Amino acid sequence: MVENRPLLTFLTHFALIMGVVFLCFPVWMALVASTHGPDALARSPIPMWFGDQGWQNYSQLLAAGLPEAGGVPLGRMMWNSLIMALGITFGKIAVSILAAYAVVYFRFPFRMGFFWMIFITLMLPVEVRILPTFDVVTKLGLLNTYTVLIIPLIASATATLLFRQFFLTIPDELVEAARIDRAGPMRFFWDILMPLSRTNIAALFIILFIYGWNQYLWPFLVTSDESLYTVVMGIQRMVNSGEALPVWHLIMGTAILAMVPPVLVVIAMQKLFVKGLVESEK
Amino acid sequence: MAELSITGLGKTYPGGVQAVEGVTAEIADGEFIVLVGPSGCGKSTILRMIAGLETITTGDLLIGDRRVNNLEPGDRDIAMVFQNYALYPHMTVRKNMEYGLKNEGLPRSEIDARIAEATRTLRLEDYLDRKPRQLSGGQRQRVAMGRAIVRDPKVFLFDEPLSNLDAKLRTQLRAELKALHKRLGATFVYVTHDQVEAMSLADRIIIMNAGRVEQIGLPMDLYLRPATRFVAEFIGSPAMNFVEGTVDPDRRSLAVNGSHSLRFAEPLPAEPGHKIALGIRPEHLTEVPAGALSMELEVDFIEQLGADTVVHGKLAGANSPLAVRLHGVQAGAAGSVVTLGCEMDNLHLFDLGTGQRLN
Repeated sequence: MVENRPLLTFLTHFALIMGVVFLCFPVWMALVASTHGPDALARSPIPMWFGDQGWQNYSQLLAAGLPEAGGVPLGRMMWNSLIMALGITFGKIAVSILAAYAVVYFRFPFRMGFFWMIFITLMLPVEVRILPTFDVVTKLGLLNTYTVLIIPLIASATATLLFRQFFLTIPDELVEAARIDRAGPMRFFWDILMPLSRTNIAALFIILFIYGWNQYLWPFLVTSDESLYTVVMGIQRMVNSGEALPVWHLIMGTAILAMVPPVLVVIAMQKLFVKGLVESEK
Repeated sequence: MAELSITGLGKTYPGGVQAVEGVTAEIADGEFIVLVGPSGCGKSTILRMIAGLETITTGDLLIGDRRVNNLEPGDRDIAMVFQNYALYPHMTVRKNMEYGLKNEGLPRSEIDARIAEATRTLRLEDYLDRKPRQLSGGQRQRVAMGRAIVRDPKVFLFDEPLSNLDAKLRTQLRAELKALHKRLGATFVYVTHDQVEAMSLADRIIIMNAGRVEQIGLPMDLYLRPATRFVAEFIGSPAMNFVEGTVDPDRRSLAVNGSHSLRFAEPLPAEPGHKIALGIRPEHLTEVPAGALSMELEVDFIEQLGADTVVHGKLAGANSPLAVRLHGVQAGAAGSVVTLGCEMDNLHLFDLGTGQRLN
């Protein structure tokens, strides 16, 4: 669809630019606020341009942490978040690609039964099964470990379904050609299926990393040890820090820093992601 | 060596559908066998059973003197070329060709030698480092053939390899295939629905219909003496004409439609009162009203093909459609009547009920 109407071009651009402004304004505010001292933000009007406290704020955040929020250094929380996000991402991709492989390519008893069981878990996100899951991990003695942050969030059907749909589009002839070329199930998986799934894996990596990074409720329930706090929990604790006033300049700084890893992941993977959308290798 | 022996081969799918039934054939070493038939006749199923991609329900399959019924495709010493090429899209041409050899555990030097040989044969030297998507359809199919050749199998299997190519390329690759067969001297089993492909490539043809073998024979046998009405109709283009009728008591005429009858110079080789289908190929009818039979054609329309003219119409007095292929450029108007003749040797008589040949 190629149209050349100046007014239409103007309108579409205007709408898009307004959307971008609308989305970016809060981020801009957070960035600006994180460079001011505590007093500037309590006064009106709220500053719209950078202040001179940026260096000081960020070094305090990274090195010392906040006494108001239990004094956990931000670096520690970022590290915890990273482990959790990566653990969920890799775990989920590994589990779901193998599950999809089994469901699509192997004939075993109750195959469709298992598929539907996986499918039904779509309706059971962590928030719904939170009590039983909490009960299980407590009885297993897993509270306050990285394991408990990661494992319960790995089980999910979405990625399995996505891989299943993708595997179903791979022509049967390719599987047959591989069989004639003496590729066993493992060979076929590694040499053919994995390289072909590359772009799907990249897309899922982005989505799952952000999903893992933004987890709030589950980590909040299963960790009481401060050394396992994630950065999203950290922000929440800073805001509700008891009697003291919220230190907005530092909270905004934390929010900005918490945004950096997901942004980096998106930037790093987007080339592969877009490539996957544009070029079809089949 | 690599003869292929098929005995009573049958395939029944779990739902009870019988795709192939009691197929028996002996294929000699180095023979080019073409399996041909309309879609759904079971020809591809047979090929896939030979390849090991479908399980065999009944019967035996021997490659050389080894029963291979239960062997994995990779262990049967076969190679297959697929209709949609089935190249690994993420691998270069070279990687595609060497993948099977690597899995077999051949030494590097041997792999390289075989690939060099195959690329020379197929003129693929310039494309070794390209990915399949950077190649045209014809080149892709050549790569697929290369992947088969490097494996140096006893039997090559082709599943409609040319159907996705345009007509010109198809003719060209057909010639290349024929040359390749001569060069390699291996056994080829080739599936197609295109009778021209079958006729031009095959040493022997197996014609299938509804899961059964209709006839096995040399291409010219199939053309000149089709064993059944089905074979007669399938081989040849335009298709053979059929006039259905009852043999008169004197066996010299055929009652068509009750009122009209055809007179023959010699008695027909069929019992009086027998209901038969009389088959005549369009190219065996001549405008000279000589020979054993003369009949009149009411012209409907004319196809000018350049070298030939195909006149379509009806048998005068009856409603049987009739086509005739005349040499050169011929004029003729719709509604006009042409008198045609045919030699006795070119008549094919089939039982109307069973479709079996009578003469």
